[in-house]
Parts: sequence; structure tokens; C-alpha cells
Amino acid sequence: MNGQEFNDVYDVVIIGAGNGGLIAAAQLAIEGIKVILFEQHNLPGGFATSFVRGRFEFEGTLHELCDYGPEDNKGSIRRLFENDLDLQVEFVEIPEAFRLICTDKNDPIDIVVPFGLEDFVTAIDTVAVGSKEPLLNYLKLSEEINGAITYLTESKGNPEKDILLKKYKNFLKSVPYSLDEVNNALKIPEKAQKILDAYWIYIGIPTNRVNFTFYSAMHYYFLTRKAYFPKYRTHDFSTALESKIREKGGKVEYNTRVEKILVEDGKIIGVQTSKGDKIQTNRVISNASPTILYNDLIYPKEEVPDIAYKFVNARKHAISCFSVYLGLNASAEQLGIRNYSYHIFDSMDTEKVYTSFNTLNPPMVQATTCLNNIIHDCTPPNTSMLMMTTFFLPGVWDNVNPKDYFNLKSKIAYNLISSFEKALNISIKDNIEEIEIATPQTLSRYTGAYQGSAYGYESDPWDSFIPRLMAMNDEKFIDGLEICGGYSSQGVSYTNSLISGQISAFLTLQKIRGGE
Amino acid sequence: MNENEKEFNLSIKGNIRDLLAFKNLISKRSKLIQKASNLPKGDPIKNLSRTLHPQKQSLVISEIREETKSTKTYRLISESEHIKLAYFRAGQYLSLKVQVNGIDITRPYSISSSPLDSLHGFYEITIKKAEDGFLTQYIWENWKIGTKIESSGPEGNFYFEPLRDSNHIVGIAGGSGITPFSSIAKSIINGTINAKLTVFYGSSEEDDIIFYDKFKEFENNFPNQIKIIHVLSCEEISLEGCEQGFITAEKIKNYVDVEECSFFICGPQIMYEFVEKELTRFNLQHKKIRKELFGEIKNIVSIPNYPKESIGKTFSIEVEIGSLITEIPALATESVLTALERAKLAPPSKCRSGSCGFCRSALISGDIFVRPLDDKRRSADILRNYFHPCSSYPLSNLKIVVPRAP
Repeated sequence: MNGQEFNDVYDVVIIGAGNGGLIAAAQLAIEGIKVILFEQHNLPGGFATSFVRGRFEFEGTLHELCDYGPEDNKGSIRRLFENDLDLQVEFVEIPEAFRLICTDKNDPIDIVVPFGLEDFVTAIDTVAVGSKEPLLNYLKLSEEINGAITYLTESKGNPEKDILLKKYKNFLKSVPYSLDEVNNALKIPEKAQKILDAYWIYIGIPTNRVNFTFYSAMHYYFLTRKAYFPKYRTHDFSTALESKIREKGGKVEYNTRVEKILVEDGKIIGVQTSKGDKIQTNRVISNASPTILYNDLIYPKEEVPDIAYKFVNARKHAISCFSVYLGLNASAEQLGIRNYSYHIFDSMDTEKVYTSFNTLNPPMVQATTCLNNIIHDCTPPNTSMLMMTTFFLPGVWDNVNPKDYFNLKSKIAYNLISSFEKALNISIKDNIEEIEIATPQTLSRYTGAYQGSAYGYESDPWDSFIPRLMAMNDEKFIDGLEICGGYSSQGVSYTNSLISGQISAFLTLQKIRGGE
Repeated sequence: MNENEKEFNLSIKGNIRDLLAFKNLISKRSKLIQKASNLPKGDPIKNLSRTLHPQKQSLVISEIREETKSTKTYRLISESEHIKLAYFRAGQYLSLKVQVNGIDITRPYSISSSPLDSLHGFYEITIKKAEDGFLTQYIWENWKIGTKIESSGPEGNFYFEPLRDSNHIVGIAGGSGITPFSSIAKSIINGTINAKLTVFYGSSEEDDIIFYDKFKEFENNFPNQIKIIHVLSCEEISLEGCEQGFITAEKIKNYVDVEECSFFICGPQIMYEFVEKELTRFNLQHKKIRKELFGEIKNIVSIPNYPKESIGKTFSIEVEIGSLITEIPALATESVLTALERAKLAPPSKCRSGSCGFCRSALISGDIFVRPLDDKRRSADILRNYFHPCSSYPLSNLKIVVPRAP
């Protein structure tokens, strides 16, 4: 490979302008690093995007942003945006967590779950008597977990064993277990657990598998810092980041796919793009997943060690989304839609619902938001919009015949709209002015995500963020390569993807400044 | 919540076992990873993506039919027999790339054939020769059987959606605006769409009518599903059953029950202005009227609010595209996209109507004019100075960053 001719030289090449890639590029540009960001699509943001149909601008994917926080209790994302990156992005506060509706005749639930520690405990204790004490322990444990995570971050991944054992023993003990295992040990009553479990669709694996530590950390942020939403949709912060990168001298190239990461003797020497350009660099931050990196991008193939394939094949890709976007010609109030966020389940048996994601049958769950209930003027007067989301496991859509594709989309959309109408006892079908439907195929096409997966790798206890972080240094197979985004060590979610961008930038910076 | 100061000790499977489980987590992880397969794997959903939404399609003309004295239908097939054409929804368009005098430009053309035809290996597009159009002139002279054409995948939102539209579609067409309705009619006949279609088709002369015989045949064979009403603006009419004049509310009311229809409009720019005014008399809900885009605005100076003092001016645009930074001239009355194409910078474009956002670019400095009706930008783009060159006109010298086409 000697004597390669390159068109240009950059300190760092970033693959993919998703949440992680944009933050990484912005952070490095601010640090004065010569950085170029390649994106295969024509827009920034990846999942963090919006689109216009008729009189409506729909949010692409975000339901609520975790750990942004109010002015006087800034969370990690607010600190990242305001303090570190100096972004001006307007956010609105979401008043309550969600309204949970379970339509199972044997066990109906209809409860508005609030934010705030005390309100949360009171609300659940009201419908599931005897929950108070165990829930207080749950919160105590969650608080300790968040303390531990803060400590781990501050110690930059080199915590002192003694401090961990002394101050964060319960945290350590929670790490190997699932949400169900810990909640059962805490003796949280069954009914209360069901309500507590309702966030599982934001992570995408059933509660007998999802890691407790990961789950409760997220939940605690929601409870203590509430949830927020960018007033002009996620495309606003994606665009703010794009502008920031340029303003600080970085470069963003759309419609350009990185096709090869050129590797020599285990070290990155450059990248080659779909435009045929060859860029010389020793550092790549990838917002594309390790699965895509090792299967498609590392060149030559011989540079991919066996263990790298094992590393990605040991993990399962989490669920992908199916979303229906409705522009309605009546206000939310006129239609009887009073809440922002609805979690609607046919059953609270998370394993059963998860298994249903493996079929194209009528969906058993939807997470639906009505933006008008937090941003009143987000649509013209006397109109409103809804985003309804359900889920599918990778593979389910692979063999759909193109000829049947559009009808299948309409059919599943019809099912979702009908179950929403039924759960709220309202009618909206005659009010549909605009409709757009996104499937796992759509997500794959726009974001390049493997199998259209929206939630990275599944967060079983063995592959949750803590073991990922602990094993991070042993799981680097190519010198100069860092991962950010939903597939990074941080784990999935908008919040973690954004934070992972900054971490990957700092790790890269450390190596550049370390004078390697 | 910290009133309970008693030390809380978590025990899941027992204190020691829990700590051991933590200690063994990494070795458990390594074992699971070691046990996994070391074989590379593919990403199967990409096949579905490529078939439904290819970034590009390499097509070749296999047949040319003269429809009227000024209209031709081009049948397009895949250049490679191994690559299938993308399936689509009746009413969608293809953005075709044409090279005229060394300049790459694109044009959106509605597909006139049915979606099922694409599964049998072809699309048809039907082009009307514009009197002063240098592009259609070029196509007339140069497109022959065997000519290769680069196309986008199927694009656009001008299609029937059963969850939204009434199952009586009323098409209002002018000139070559009949093409999407040809595709919709065929889809109704072959069962892809479950709806009824009534088309009001405006032409200026009898021999301008496109697909006259085809639609007659549809009507005769499927009288309950397809109906066409020809509306001719000329004085003398020899064809039977035509209406004289323009497509007015009065005429529409005579043929359809307005309350139970969804209106789909496709035609030249001036037709929209007329028809929209007529339709306001029905007081229809917004959702009942769908409009196809008609490409770039023909005469920007005729748009109200266009600053007349700009007419005749030429500005300079500093363009950053890829690694190139260059300065190009731009007429005030031409879209920024046209200026970019003229300068041979091959910018990306699809709808050319301000809507799809494929040409989205950054406006670093300078002022542009965008007709409010065509301003389909995302709110954050408006806020942060991003723009769609296809629907934007320079009002001063500009500095812009344009993405390269894929």
C-alpha cells in the first residue's frame, strides 16, 4: 500500500453526521483540529431530523431528550450544548413523563406518570398500594448509581477500587443484573413494576434482560431533570452543530459515503469515499457501527482480526422503528388528545410484546407523541400532529416484496391509528390531512444503520455500558479508530449518543496531543 | 427523599454472590465474545432499500412514441438486465439528468406508465415540447432509441393514500400534467389502487390532447372507475362530449359530488392559479386538495413581493462545493440552482420546486428571495440560514456552501 496518492490530509475523519458524529466534529473543530465529516445522506443529524409535508413539519424520531435539565439543574446535554459547544438551541420542558395505557382486559392500566421523585412515588403508590417503601429503595439505588456514574466520568475511567467498594457497592452489585431481577429483589409490587417498566421500549429489550443499571440511570435523570424537546425539532440542533463545525473551520461533506478505511499493519492511514477521493489521516471517529466497520469498511479485509467479527457477532442488533406521522386538520383539544406522550400496550408482558416484534402482525405497542401539547404553535391554528411509533426486530422486513411494501405500510399504519383511537376513545381517521410512514427500510436508507436498527446493540447485563466501558481498551482492534453514537460504549439513546461524540473527540484529542 | 438514613444494602442473589457476579462480568463477556461466529455478515434490508429507493438508476431508451404533434412518450428500461427498476406509487416522478452543451441539468418528469410496468422492466415518461424550451428542443433532437439516461429513484408525494384521501379521485390536469393521471388510471384498472378517477383535462387545441385514445379506451372498458372530461379553450370543437372554456367550479360541479372527492391538480403554473381560485368556491378542507409541483417558477418577476429593483441585475456568488471555491455570475431572475448548473458545478437537485430539500445549501452571507408559497424549508433551516437553491433568487452577492451531488 506504499506510495498511495491522497487528495487531502486531515487530522481526523469522522464517518456519519448522526448525533455522535456531529458532536465529535464540533468538539474537535473547536479544539482547532483539522476535521472533515462525511455523511452519506444530504442532511445532518441521522435520526435527529425533521421533514416537511404540506403545512406540517414533523419530528423524525425524538420522543423526549433525557438529562437536558432546567437552567438551575443543568444535565449533561445542556452543559454540553451551552457550556462546551456554545450552541444556541431553544428547548421546551415536557410537563409529565407519559400516560401509560394498557388495554389488556385482565389488567387494564391508565395512569399519567409524573416527573419528580415524590410525585412519581405518590402516583404509583396510589394505584399499586404498598409500593412506597420499595420504590424509595429503588430511588436510593438509582441515586447511588448516578453518583457512581458521575464518579466514573470524573475519574476518567480510572476509578479507585476502594471508593467504588465503599461508596458505590450497591451500584456494583446491580451491574450484572436485569431490571426484573433487581426490582424483584427490591420487592416492588407487580403492578408498580409494570408501570416502572414502561420505558423499556426506549431501550428495546424485555425487562428480564435489560440491564438494571442502565435502565435506572436513565429513569433517574428523567425523574430529577425532567424531559426536554427542541422547539424547532431535532433538525435544529443538528443544523446548529453543522454551522458550528463550519464556523470553527471544520468541513462537512454530504452525499458522500466513506467506502474504505485504509489500514496498514493495524493502523489507519486514510479513507476513501464514494466520490473517489482519498483522504490521508491516522484517526477516524465512526458514527457507523462496529458491525458495518468490520464487515464493510476496513480495507484490506485481512486487517480485520477474527476477534473483531466475534465481537460484533456476539451482540444482537436492537429493534428498529416503524413510525406514522399524521398531520391532522383539527386541534389536539378538539380531537381529545390532551397529553404529550402516550405509551400504549396490549400487554405489560414485555417478553411477549418483544417476541411480537419478530412478526408483521398488528403491533402490540406504540409510543405516540402529540407535539402540540408541549409546543402549542408547532402547527397552524386548528391543526395538530402525531408521531406514532412501534417496533420490529431486525430481519422482519428483509423479505418484503417491493410490490407489497406500500400496502403493508398502510396496513400497519391503519392498525396503529386504530389502536390509538381505541385506547383514547376518540376518532381521528377523518382528520388526516398529511400522512407519512417510515419503516426499518426507511431508517436503513436515511441513516445507514445496520438493519435500520435504532437502538444500537441490545443492552443485556453482559453488554451494558459498564462492562463495555470496563472492556473498552481491550476491544479496540484498529489503531486510530474510535466509535461514537448508539453503538458506542455509552449505549443507546439520544443522550448517550451525543455524549459519546464528545468522549470520542476527547479520546482522539488525547492521542493527538500525546504526540503519538 | 433522604429522610431514611438507614444504610441501604442491596442483595439480589446474596451479597457475596452479587459482588462475585460483578467481578466475573468481564470474563463472562470475553467468553461470550470468544464463542461467537467469526464470519462476516451482510445487511439484507439494504437490498429492499436499493430496490425501492436507489440513489441512481442507469436507464436506456427502448422505444419512442409520438403522442401528439408536440408530445412524445419515451420508454425507459434498465441499462443492465441484472438491475431491476425501482417500484413506485402512481403519481411519482423521476428526476432525469440531461447534458446540454456540456451542462448537466435535471428535470422531474412524472411517470405515465403504471407501477406494475416497472416490475415488467420499464417506465414511460411523456414530454411535451415547450415552444421556447431549450431543454425539450435538445431532447427532441438528441434522444434516440439506445440513448442512456441517468435517473433518480421514484420521487414525490403526489400519490393516492387510502388512509388520507377519498376514494373518488378528481384529477385536474393541463397539458403534460395528464401524465401522473395516466399512471393512476392504469393502477386503478389493474387493481393496485382501489378508487375511482374522474379527470378534467384542459387543452388549448384538440390536437394537443395527450392520451385521448387511451383514456377513451379506459372509459369504455371501465365506465364505473374511469371518466375523463376534456375541456378545450379553443373556439371550434369537433370532438364529441367536450367542454368548452376552462376548468371552472361550475363544470366540476356538473360531473362530481364535490363533497366526496379528493382533488389532485397537475399542470402548468398558470393553471394552478386559475383552478385554485375556482376550487375556493367549494370551501373545501385543506386535505381535499393535493397539488403536484410544477418545477421552477417560470417568471419570478410576476410574483407579488418580488423586489422589482432587482430585475436585470447580475450578482456574483462565491460557491464552496467539495474542495472547490469559485465565483460565479447569477442573474437576479434565475434560481441559484440554475446559476450553479450554468457554471458547470453539477449541484444536487430533484424536485426543482423548493420542496424535496435535496439541494439544501448553507447561505453564509447575502440575501435571497423565496416565494413564500414555495418555501418548504424546515423551520430550523430558515432560522439558521440554510436554503434550497432551486426556489431561491439572489438579491445581492452571495456566499454559499453547496453539497456535491451523490
